[in-house]
Amino acid sequence: MRGALYFAGAILLILITLVLGLQVGTFEVDLPTIWDAFFHYDPDNTTHFAITHLRLPRLLLALVVGASLAFCGYLMQAMVNNGLADPYLLGTASGASLGAVVVFFGFVEVSIGGFYMPPVFALLGAFIVTLFVVALGYRKRQLIPAQLLLAGIAISSLVTAMVGLLTFLSDSEGKLKSVIFWSMGSFERASWSLLPYPATALLLALLLFAFLQKQLNILLLGADRAQALGVNVAQTRWAILGTVSIVTGFAVATSGPIGFVGLIIPHVTRGLMGATGRSNLLFCAFVGGLFMLLCDLLSRILYPPAGLPIGIITSFFGVPFFVYLLSRKNYKFSS
Amino acid sequence: MHPYLKKFLAICLLIVCWSCGSEKEKQVGQALVLQDGLGRTVKLEGQPKRVMAFASSMTEMLFAVCDTATIVGRTPQCDYPAGVYSKPVVNNYPVDFEQVLALKPDLVFTVEGITPLDMAARLEELGIPVYYQKYRSVEDILQGIEDIGCIMDREQQANYLADSLRQEVQEIERRYSGQAKQQRVLTITWSDPIYVYGQNTILTDQLRILGAQNAVQEVFDQPYPALTREYILKLNPDILLGGSIERLEREFFSLYPELRKIAAYQNKRIYQPTGNLIERPSPRVVESIRELESFLYP
Repeated sequence: MRGALYFAGAILLILITLVLGLQVGTFEVDLPTIWDAFFHYDPDNTTHFAITHLRLPRLLLALVVGASLAFCGYLMQAMVNNGLADPYLLGTASGASLGAVVVFFGFVEVSIGGFYMPPVFALLGAFIVTLFVVALGYRKRQLIPAQLLLAGIAISSLVTAMVGLLTFLSDSEGKLKSVIFWSMGSFERASWSLLPYPATALLLALLLFAFLQKQLNILLLGADRAQALGVNVAQTRWAILGTVSIVTGFAVATSGPIGFVGLIIPHVTRGLMGATGRSNLLFCAFVGGLFMLLCDLLSRILYPPAGLPIGIITSFFGVPFFVYLLSRKNYKFSS
Repeated sequence: MHPYLKKFLAICLLIVCWSCGSEKEKQVGQALVLQDGLGRTVKLEGQPKRVMAFASSMTEMLFAVCDTATIVGRTPQCDYPAGVYSKPVVNNYPVDFEQVLALKPDLVFTVEGITPLDMAARLEELGIPVYYQKYRSVEDILQGIEDIGCIMDREQQANYLADSLRQEVQEIERRYSGQAKQQRVLTITWSDPIYVYGQNTILTDQLRILGAQNAVQEVFDQPYPALTREYILKLNPDILLGGSIERLEREFFSLYPELRKIAAYQNKRIYQPTGNLIERPSPRVVESIRELESFLYP
């Protein structure tokens, strides 16, 4: 019952934030205008255009990316059985950054065949680095979480150093701005054409793990006990790994590496719903989306018109909450 | 030396310094004490004989005013006039202190925002004074030319140059004063994220001289603010500067297809200004105004 209430609360808050978010921007917009933009759309009205083609995709992208990162964070924490894990543990963020930087610094054309290349190369970079990390974490025909963790940290550091080197050698201020802007995350590039990629990846992943939530909870008891209880640990780990790399890859490629969401929200979820709630993953995705929507709204209110980089807001508001949560006496990572 | 002669010379020197107009410099014995554009006090041991600039625009200023033999180096970005290529390259950011020391300049000129103050402080510790200029308008650049002339003892040349440029500016301004409809111009400097020329840039003054206006009327803290697509959609500029139609189509409008609704795109009023003209507050500022004129009134 309490879980259902939390779900209803999260959905209601998401809807309220969406409506509020639709009202914030350069064009002054009231509720009747929002209504008209959706139900009496006038193609010549620039305000209607801004609501439907700029604000709505931006809000939905924030929702999807927040949900993706929180969801993947939850999966990673369950897989390595460690509350400090986040979706970027596999080197996704640094790989994506390297991919984007390669384009920003002119090693590849910015636009090929009408496609804007930074997200494409970011996705490519994320996948390549993840594959490399997984290869290092794979021994004796199985994934070893501790080795995976160390490989992730080492390769991420190496790739970050490469990004640092390229940044240092940059010959223009504009390129530096692109890299800094990218590294702190933004939803300004959101569009209807971009949205389906991360959204599809997230929906498919949610569907897959609707069937695997039970195995995930058992995995929290440790690999040996989970195996004894009939869970195919190796298979579950591969499912987590594949899902995290694809979903995080799309999220990072579209919005940049936004920190802390994937670390904090899984803890919030467990704090509210218990360590092994049946709908934890779905709830985690909802709360992640809501948190990101709120952060985006705040960033646009605090620093109009461009908005503060979203990564700064997620850290500023997420970390104190995280500290509060950890200081609560009844908080547990696993059951 | 006879005491009366000394007094006479001192008075002559004071008159010379006073004639430098707004210059806030005075000579104490052999030393020169200047006040730069940021209000900093810059002390020189005497008339500078070896100088260089840490900004490419300032290098252009020096080449226009000074005896080129007194210019001892250039930055990697300096590409105008052709004479700069004969000068040794010095890294200006981060500053290659050893190379600067090796060239032994008496004074380094720079522009606000190009050289961080802590780097200037470090150079001054090493015995090399740094003189900043800052500009908010075309007239500030012209005064900057006169300022350099005064410091380098090339007043006649500097004043002649500044006056002739001033005359050209006034002529253009007269031609376009009282425009019935001022064209609104948006100038982008970078596309991802979108950075544009804000109000606090010389471009705003150049456009005013041409009877047009910077589409960004809001005053931001930064001279080159970041804007959102929605903001630009609301600005709906008449003219967009920042690249050729083909280039912006490929690198800007393919990324932000929503911005194809703006008047500049609809009417194909998209132009590519020459980078080292529009960006540099140099003696070529009038050339830059003339280029803008060709875009605004084709």
